[in-house]
Amino acid sequence: MKKTVLGIVLAAALPAAAQDAYVVGVSAAMTGPGAGIYAPVVDAMKAYLDHVNARGGVNGKQVRLIVQDDGAEPSRAAANAKRLLAQDKVVLLINTSLSSTYAPMVAEARRAEVPLYFGGSVCPKDTYPPADPLQFCSSAFGANLDSQGALAFVKAQAKEPVRIGFAAMAIPIARAEIDYAEGLSKTMGMTPVAKQISPPPAPDYTPFATKLKDANPNWVFSWSPWVSQVRTFEALRRLGWSGRYLTWAHLNAEDELARIRDGEFYVIGTNALFQDDLPVHAEIRAVTHRANLKYPVTYLTEGFIAGLVIESALKATPWPPTPKKVLAAMNNLKVDLKGLRGGPLEWTRENHFRIRQHYRVWRWDPAKNAIVRVQDWQAIEVKR
Amino acid sequence: MSEPRASGYFRTTYGRDLALLDTRAQKAWLALLCASLLALPFLAGAFVLDLANQVLLTSIGAVALMLLTGYAGQISLGHAGLLAAGAFTTGILFKEFGAPFWVTLPASAAVGAAIGFLFGLPSLRLRGLYLAVSTLALHFLVLHAGQEYETRRGFSTGVVIDSPIQDPRAWYFTLLAAAVATILFSLNLLRSKTGRSWRAIHAREAVAEALGIDVRRAKLSAFVVSCTLTSIAGCLFAYYRGFVSAEAFSLFVTIQYVATVIVGGIGSILGAVLGTLFVVLFPYGIEALMRALGLAERLASVVFAVNYAAFGLAMILFLVFEPQGLVGIWRRVQAWFLLWPFKQRPVGR
Amino acid sequence: MQLAVNIAVLAAIYALISCGYVLIYRVSRVLSLAHGELMMLGAYGLAATASLFSGHPLVAIAASIALAFLVGVAVYAALMWRMTGESVLAAVLATIALGILLRGAMVLAFGNQTQYPLQSLGWTNASIAFGGSARVSAAGLTLILLTAAVYAGLFAFLRMTRWGIRMRAAGQNPLLAAQRGIRLHGVYALAWGLATLTGGMAGMLIACDAGIESTLVTIGLKAFPAALVGGLDSLAGALVGSLVVASAEVLLIHFVDPLLSDVVPFFVLLAMLAVRPWGLFGTREELDRV
Repeated sequence: MKKTVLGIVLAAALPAAAQDAYVVGVSAAMTGPGAGIYAPVVDAMKAYLDHVNARGGVNGKQVRLIVQDDGAEPSRAAANAKRLLAQDKVVLLINTSLSSTYAPMVAEARRAEVPLYFGGSVCPKDTYPPADPLQFCSSAFGANLDSQGALAFVKAQAKEPVRIGFAAMAIPIARAEIDYAEGLSKTMGMTPVAKQISPPPAPDYTPFATKLKDANPNWVFSWSPWVSQVRTFEALRRLGWSGRYLTWAHLNAEDELARIRDGEFYVIGTNALFQDDLPVHAEIRAVTHRANLKYPVTYLTEGFIAGLVIESALKATPWPPTPKKVLAAMNNLKVDLKGLRGGPLEWTRENHFRIRQHYRVWRWDPAKNAIVRVQDWQAIEVKR
Repeated sequence: MSEPRASGYFRTTYGRDLALLDTRAQKAWLALLCASLLALPFLAGAFVLDLANQVLLTSIGAVALMLLTGYAGQISLGHAGLLAAGAFTTGILFKEFGAPFWVTLPASAAVGAAIGFLFGLPSLRLRGLYLAVSTLALHFLVLHAGQEYETRRGFSTGVVIDSPIQDPRAWYFTLLAAAVATILFSLNLLRSKTGRSWRAIHAREAVAEALGIDVRRAKLSAFVVSCTLTSIAGCLFAYYRGFVSAEAFSLFVTIQYVATVIVGGIGSILGAVLGTLFVVLFPYGIEALMRALGLAERLASVVFAVNYAAFGLAMILFLVFEPQGLVGIWRRVQAWFLLWPFKQRPVGR
Repeated sequence: MQLAVNIAVLAAIYALISCGYVLIYRVSRVLSLAHGELMMLGAYGLAATASLFSGHPLVAIAASIALAFLVGVAVYAALMWRMTGESVLAAVLATIALGILLRGAMVLAFGNQTQYPLQSLGWTNASIAFGGSARVSAAGLTLILLTAAVYAGLFAFLRMTRWGIRMRAAGQNPLLAAQRGIRLHGVYALAWGLATLTGGMAGMLIACDAGIESTLVTIGLKAFPAALVGGLDSLAGALVGSLVVASAEVLLIHFVDPLLSDVVPFFVLLAMLAVRPWGLFGTREELDRV
């Protein structure tokens, strides 16, 4: 438990309290930039684990989730990691924050030999096969895989030669992905005609969209934080562009589709939408309602999945838990996601991302006044 | 040069006059402080040790800024840019050439001096607000350059650096040595001709010029020295964290450093140290306070926003009610003890 | 043609935000770096009144504008009046600290999600075509018209009304103005109120275009070079400066590299500071008086 600053000096000499629970620590961007997509994940994760505890816990023991806010600042993430590892003695470290916080947390995890799980934050390439021994990831985004899935969809849907434009925010991860997508599109027989990178605090996206529109693409693919994706799209539409726009489905995709109501605005993602009304969706509603979360329930799938993963990993860890045992469990994990994704989440020693990534594509249908699924689960094998 | 503290201590040589410490009591207190600082890593837990390391690292930058803003009176809002310059120099040299730290440290210092010269050029024509704005603009340019490097070279999540020192205790002693060196260097510099010329241009620039002080040289030297120190701090920061990324050097970092100067008290090295303690420990203090008040659970997800708001509020309170900063409070407390049972200093002192 | 429209919209955004900087600086010689946060507060105010007066969008807009003005006056009354007479650095830091406080408070009060006040108002951001191939959004057009109206109004106010003349007097020589019987606190409060009003309106319109999120504050900072290029104490300068910076940005995005648009305002600023620090239309004495 945290102590006051004065108390720390005194308590440092005292022995740590005996652990009677699985102790797991999270460093998350609960506030600061990007909090809108990370905070709901952590809250949903916590709500699910509280629910698990209420049902008796894992292997008869409670799960204690300690959340530290790092505000997307790398220094704070490092301090949080140190605190969680040294003081709280967590057996599993979780990162739900911006990519700038990865390096310090990886370093700390390595030093303490504790597995680091990226639950909700963009998966680093180190979780792809051959995977770094300590890094695991369950987040929906998949670098390079998302572009593959998206361009495969475009190719399948296009009835005429594809002139494709690309749009991204000027953050290194998005730029790298769009560059990859541009190269990939050429090998698939499409013609990349424009690539626009827009800096984050742009007061008006119209100048960037103007350049895109002038190149006259019939498809545009965007992979970035939601704000950049949607504002580029809106600017393009206002300029009179009538092509098709494909973009990544972030947490708020379901709500945004209903707000934008454009029939040619497609989102591609790996998590099932709430409109499918699966039994697990009712479960999510119940759990998060009990926890009194203030986010729209459609934002909570990713966090729920993370909770499921943590529960499975800890269940496979015999008592008393040590980081090594948790690592062994995670190296051979198969989590039933109850339909929230196209298949179960499977980790092996080589592959800490998942064996298969499944994609669906949706759009808003103005005729039916509802979201319709345009493509059902398409699997892409995750290989070296 | 420092004010005599008690009666009975006569300064009979210039050496005694220039000495930093006069009385036996001062020396005793200093010895106690040194002993406790040296003993800290062996008594404190990992968390406190990390906090101490952070304080020491930040204090180097804070002292540098105090030299520039507190003594020479040149407002600079580009501090984070300087830290970034030192850190990125270290990162680039390490990643591209595998340079060891005895190459990167002087290189960072050199880069800092060069950029300091650049930052200082506007100060020859501008003052006050305009100077602050030009340093702000330069800050954004440095950060932009750093981000471009990160992207073009493919280090999208930052540049990882192997540090020669890994153990927190070793870091503590390294940073302690660096901080002490910086403070001694600054104290010495302030007593020299350069330091006196800084104080002069801060007080009344026209008069300083009339007295024959080369104002341009003084301003530029202030910038160069301060930026070199800051750049070295940036290099140490890069090694301490083990990586470099542009997001770590936002405008808020600059504001935090300026807060150390203001909250600490302008025109005092002790103020820089006290200000650093305040700024680094403040978020943890707020968290402790929230927990003590039982609000921790309810506000768990917005604790950062509370920190932010509380930091702004604390700065405002200091600016409005305690313009002399923590040093002012320290001096008042000291005066109370020194003068007891009297209250006021005698007239003329 | 589309380029010209883009420049006009961006210049209108910068101009509307800059006139807040200029007003406060001209009248009280304080640089308000909390302007971005006050803009965002105005946008949140609109979101709040829109949901409060749902069904009466015009009432909501009027209420939010009045609210923005009152917030400006309140900021002065609570904090800035204590800073009159203090050093430049202290006053600027007070505004920075205020900005930090406001940002934290806004997150606490309104949460992190992006909000869409236009939706709450029940209107849509239609696209309007003119001049053949150029298109502009309704929000953009409103921005341009509103900026023109605001500037015209401010020019008239400062030149022809009593309070306007008082403000100019207080800006030129506070001591003399005070001795002449002008209530300085009232004038300063009015300046803060008007600046927050215009900034709030800019924030509201940008929010109508794109939703409220934390980048709104950074846009406030980007408009600052526009004010400086024109001269911090000249409204006409703010207009011209905004045009210059906006043109540079849009043309560079289109013809060179979109990523430069982030740093272009600061490049222009540095160039101006190197060549003519007091800006295009500012008064030269400003430099030495500081």
